[in-house]
Amino acid sequence: MSKKYAILITALFCLFIFGFGAAFLIAPDRTFSPQENRYLAQFKAPTLNSLKSGQFMKDFEDYVIDQFPLRDGWIQFKARMERIFGKRENNGVYFGQDGQTLFAQYTAPLEEDLTARVNYVNQLGKNLDIPVYFSLVPDKSYVWADRLPDNAPKVDDGSSNEKAKDLLSGDVTFIDLYAALSGEDVFYRTDHHWTTMGAQMGFLALSKGMGRSGTALKDEPVLRSDSFYGTTWSSAGAGWVEPDSIYTLVPEGGENGQVTVTRYPEGKPIPGSLYDLSKLEQKDKYSMFLGGNQPLCILQNPEGSGGKLLVVRDSYSDTLAPFLASDYQEVHLFDLRYNNMSLKQYVQDHQIDQVLVCYSAANFASDHNLFKLEL
Amino acid sequence: MIFSAPYFLFLYLCAVLFFYYITPLRWRNLVLLGLNLIFYGWGEPVYILIMFASIVIDYTHGMLVTRCKSRGNVRGAKLAVASSVVFNLALLFFFKYWDFLAGSLEAVGLKLMPKLNLKLPIGISFYTFQTMSYTIDVYRGDARTQKNIVTFGTFVTLFPQLIAGPIIKYKDLDDQLEERIHTVERFAHGVQRFVVGLAKKVLLANAIGSLWDTYLATPVGQLTTLGAWLGVVAFAFQIYFDFSGYSDMAIGLGRMLGFEFLENFNYPYVAKSATEFWRRWHISLGSWFREYLYIPLGGNRVKAPRMIFNLLVVWAATGIWHGASWNFLIWGLFYFFWIVVEKLFLGRVLEKVPAWLSHLYGLLIVLVGWAIFAVEDCAALGPYLGAMFGMGAGLWDGAFLYYLGNYWPILVIAAVASTPLGANLWKGLPQRVRQTALPVLLCAGLILSTAYLVDGTYNPFLYFRF
Repeated sequence: MSKKYAILITALFCLFIFGFGAAFLIAPDRTFSPQENRYLAQFKAPTLNSLKSGQFMKDFEDYVIDQFPLRDGWIQFKARMERIFGKRENNGVYFGQDGQTLFAQYTAPLEEDLTARVNYVNQLGKNLDIPVYFSLVPDKSYVWADRLPDNAPKVDDGSSNEKAKDLLSGDVTFIDLYAALSGEDVFYRTDHHWTTMGAQMGFLALSKGMGRSGTALKDEPVLRSDSFYGTTWSSAGAGWVEPDSIYTLVPEGGENGQVTVTRYPEGKPIPGSLYDLSKLEQKDKYSMFLGGNQPLCILQNPEGSGGKLLVVRDSYSDTLAPFLASDYQEVHLFDLRYNNMSLKQYVQDHQIDQVLVCYSAANFASDHNLFKLEL
Repeated sequence: MIFSAPYFLFLYLCAVLFFYYITPLRWRNLVLLGLNLIFYGWGEPVYILIMFASIVIDYTHGMLVTRCKSRGNVRGAKLAVASSVVFNLALLFFFKYWDFLAGSLEAVGLKLMPKLNLKLPIGISFYTFQTMSYTIDVYRGDARTQKNIVTFGTFVTLFPQLIAGPIIKYKDLDDQLEERIHTVERFAHGVQRFVVGLAKKVLLANAIGSLWDTYLATPVGQLTTLGAWLGVVAFAFQIYFDFSGYSDMAIGLGRMLGFEFLENFNYPYVAKSATEFWRRWHISLGSWFREYLYIPLGGNRVKAPRMIFNLLVVWAATGIWHGASWNFLIWGLFYFFWIVVEKLFLGRVLEKVPAWLSHLYGLLIVLVGWAIFAVEDCAALGPYLGAMFGMGAGLWDGAFLYYLGNYWPILVIAAVASTPLGANLWKGLPQRVRQTALPVLLCAGLILSTAYLVDGTYNPFLYFRF
């Protein structure tokens, strides 16, 4: 190795590490990453205690990774490299065979765990003397199994749904959504949620299961956004995947403008709407449905004839709610995660006459708040 | 601290190079000592105290041995060496094996020792062995006494090889500690070696490691025969590229600071026997045990039964060195068995059979060994080995095909990279091609590794048990 050549190699290396090191120190820190849809770690000044315990160092390591110059680009670059090297998944997300559909992986519950979860629902059925319904929204990987990579271990093979059905006691009525969902546009490709069209199929099955006769809307879907990148896309870093479009079917305020929405984001009622279009300005566009996660949301329809329905909700219910509101006098979306009040008490206080526990298969497998059904 | 992390690469290493090279030669050891201590204290600040204790105690023992020897007090010198060895082993035992012994005694109904649940100081198995070698070598007259405590401290804490080896003997570093040559050529060689190691760790070991983790987590009843083998092969590649990658990074960083460390790996997976594997795998550990345990016990210059006993001691120690758990002891004894069998007769047979057969034999031993090593839960080990040898849930399943489909490109790259094939191809290229390709490969290695570190969802440190 000649001296000149050695200088070249040394210079390249030093330029790289000192360059990015300096860029890291100089560039302003970001608080939020739209691409990843999460808050990024910030610098925390060391204290004597955090130095002694090593907590400062741990925080600092996360801080450097989160604030690294061009972080979004590095993540997308890595995802592309994984794909080039034949990987059919990245960061817990399967790349669908069509190159455009992404599947978030989750661990299906073991028998024992599933039994415990279903038993909370059974207990709710026992506690209440009004009809209680239970349904699971199938995972995208069940409905679109043909798009999964060859031989990929199934995320949702439908067995949890079957087992849950068998484990359910006589106090609860099971409604099967697994057979109800099919077709091209029932899920977002870049997100785990069902689309408005998927939710409508779910609604029709639920309506039938709950003894109603809801019908499909004849209206043309309204395009709300054509640039929705969902959370699955965020974890996959799959820059080559095209954005999703968000459509709605039920018009704002319902068919006749009679539906009112009351939100309880922090305990106090504030007026809301079926679609919060301001959310389309941000990355998490899915939260346009009812304005996103909240402890409680009540939809009222004076023309409704189905009575008062309480839905034990997860985020899938937000797309479903506009359809339910077209048929029921009141729909209460009750989120166990943000509520510690007794569900039974709430049902009594508000003269609810039927309860629907509706979870996505993935959320039902992982939620830590199901025990609150017993409260 | 670990090497394969952005905060190390882009902040700590920059600071080290900057402060090291702006310091005049005579102060460089002092600066390096300070930087070493930051490196060590980063993960567990309180354990810097162990470092200080190690430095002071081993330094004092070295002086003591020399003083006794210069006064003709052999007994005193021997006592001093013994005391140093006892101190280092006690340190190692206390932090690493106390809870293991307490747990094992408890399991047979003897509640004699309370469990302490202390966090294992990172790299303790490496640096206690290094400092032990110092006093022993001083006693044997193989190394000079280090009279400067700063220089000695620099040796004990030297960050490139502090946490994952190579295990460096003081006598091999003595001259370089006093005076080393800093040239841009050496630095450039260091850069190359470091980037190779970084790429091995980040691009190969981490990538394949996630495959092994998948199989380790597979419930016993679902493990197929080919799946179990795929898992073990993945682990074999993970630990090789991780460990040798760390050694490469250590050697590279050493060169950037003017040091020349000995090699630690020599394509272990081309070995044709268990004996040969251990001449190629973690060379610095094997040579440490040979020099400070096997030979003092009499080595192989004794009658056969005694030699077998000596081997038993060495391999039990080698096994348990890798972690305070029964499976590591079993792993060590597994090698003891095959090495004795090879010494007794199999070695002569292996020399006569075709090369492919002895390669196959070598690989088989090593892979079964890795299964014992990697499945730490002894209750799960039996079923895993059972699955490897046909008592699994069938020959293969869809998951196996999926993972094979996912990982075959990286497995092929790893297979080629673990033989001398790649290096020979490189050397066979014309000088001009290599000169052009090198900077490109260097940048590619840095850029790819950075991308995988920034999106660092899977980046384990495997030696926290060592």
